[in-house]
Amino acid sequence: MCGQASPWRSLPTHQKSRRSIIISDSKFTLRSFVILFVFFLILFLGAYLIQAKDIYNWHWQDIPPVLPVFLKAAVLTLEVSAVSTIVAILIGVIGGLMKISSEPALRLLASVYVESIRNTPLLIQIFIVYFFIATIFNMSAFQAAVFALSVFEGAYVTEIVRAGIQSIPRGQWEAAYSLGMNYFQVMRHIILPQAFRVIIPPLAGQFISLIKDSSLVSVMSLPELTLTGRQINSRIFRPFEVWFTVAALYFVMTTTLSVFTHYLERRMRVNGKST
Amino acid sequence: MVKVHDVHKKFGHLHVLKGVSFEVKKGEVVVIVGPSGAGKSTMLRCINALEKVDGGHIYIEGKDITDRKVDKNRIRAEVGMVFQHFNLFPHLTALENVMLGPVVVKKEPKEKVRELALELLDKVGIKEKAESYPSQLSGGQQQRVAIARALAMKPKVMLFDEPTSALDPEMIKEVLDVMIELAREGMTMIVVSHEMGFAREVATRVIFMDDGRIIEEGPASKIFTNPDHPRTKLFMSKIL
Ligand SMILES: Nc1ncnc2c1ncn2[C@@H]1O[C@H](COP(=O)(O)OP(=O)(O)O)[C@@H](O)[C@H]1O
Ligand SMILES: [Mg+2]
Repeated sequence: MCGQASPWRSLPTHQKSRRSIIISDSKFTLRSFVILFVFFLILFLGAYLIQAKDIYNWHWQDIPPVLPVFLKAAVLTLEVSAVSTIVAILIGVIGGLMKISSEPALRLLASVYVESIRNTPLLIQIFIVYFFIATIFNMSAFQAAVFALSVFEGAYVTEIVRAGIQSIPRGQWEAAYSLGMNYFQVMRHIILPQAFRVIIPPLAGQFISLIKDSSLVSVMSLPELTLTGRQINSRIFRPFEVWFTVAALYFVMTTTLSVFTHYLERRMRVNGKST
Repeated sequence: MVKVHDVHKKFGHLHVLKGVSFEVKKGEVVVIVGPSGAGKSTMLRCINALEKVDGGHIYIEGKDITDRKVDKNRIRAEVGMVFQHFNLFPHLTALENVMLGPVVVKKEPKEKVRELALELLDKVGIKEKAESYPSQLSGGQQQRVAIARALAMKPKVMLFDEPTSALDPEMIKEVLDVMIELAREGMTMIVVSHEMGFAREVATRVIFMDDGRIIEEGPASKIFTNPDHPRTKLFMSKIL
């Protein structure tokens, strides 16, 4: 073959590889850098043209002064998401236990909850909480946001917990029951500790998407990241710079957590004693 | 000790136990054989109250466990059970597996239970594996831990459901040896197993079950080599 490694042909067909042939793991070559260079050149030229033709004036220098406000708002976003996730886990454990209960009424209630949450838009749920429930109970913006988000996420956690519990083989129940344990002892000592391992990764994923979904509680006048973006933008009127910064902050939060959970997962697998 | 009287069990329309009656006295070792689907496992599970009977009674030390008022957990605590697939708790070490019952159910102090558990692991010959997790043990070792786990509750009777049928041949003996020792110590045992050597050595009686009924029972030598009933004969000719 020629020295120039083509990304599409670099994998010899006789080589049994776990990777697909289309996405090969060949190295960066000079050509790769040329492609990237051209791409960023176009991007830069586009930005320059927008400026030169007076379509939009870049004012990135306006961002650093407001960055502390953004960071504070990002912390609030994290706070709302984290507290909501904790409450959602409580809801989810109860919901999950109801879903596998032998009492049909409990199963029905849990299903109605999960289905109505999963089949309606989060924004509408937020409106219901904000304009109705929060008014009745006189909740603060933070409380209302946590209420709406945890009820929303709780439905998904319910399904995660149910699936986690049901992934534990029946023999575990039988062995525990045959020792004389009652339902709660079996749950606490045998089922939940094992289900936990199965539940953690999807739960982390749920937390990460909640960080993005929490952007919708900006309509509750809670000064989290998105609402702060709107407020600052209406003050300095730099829509691209502001929203790009907001997007970047969401991106940093979610990817950091994502990397962290992958690391956790790997560690759990290494320590995992189950076959 | 255990008295099973005219027990019926249905799964939907499937009539699995069709009036099973037998009695096991204290210290007896009863081996149950029979083709797959005969209802042997279901029978054991009924004795351990893991399955509700649809008719008849089961008495353990005179107490009717099919009575709805009886505390099922209490019954299960007094009846030990060993499963075909061991069913050890994979998130706990061998020692913790054995300790769990007495600590959680009987609320006994951990230190005392640890001593008992180590003694039991020693008895089944795997004290040195106390800190290992089930996935680090061979099948034979896992099954011996499972036996120790059941014994830790100091049961009045031990039920074994094909304890060696999931094991590689070279591991069968180490499990049977533990069971034989247990039998010699006077433990009351009901064992579903086709291990004839075990039955000949320690069984006081062998029961042949087929199609939800007890077809015949008697001493091992008779049931295995000279049974009365043609269905027993047919079955024995197949497994020999
Ligand atoms: N939980 C259950 N639900 C429905 N059918 C069952 C259940 N458990 C066992 N059975 C059926 O009952 C019959 C007897 O099963 P089992 O007691 O396991 O027989 P054995 O242990 O003698 O092989 C089989 O036909 C089996 O399919
Ligand atoms: Mg069986």
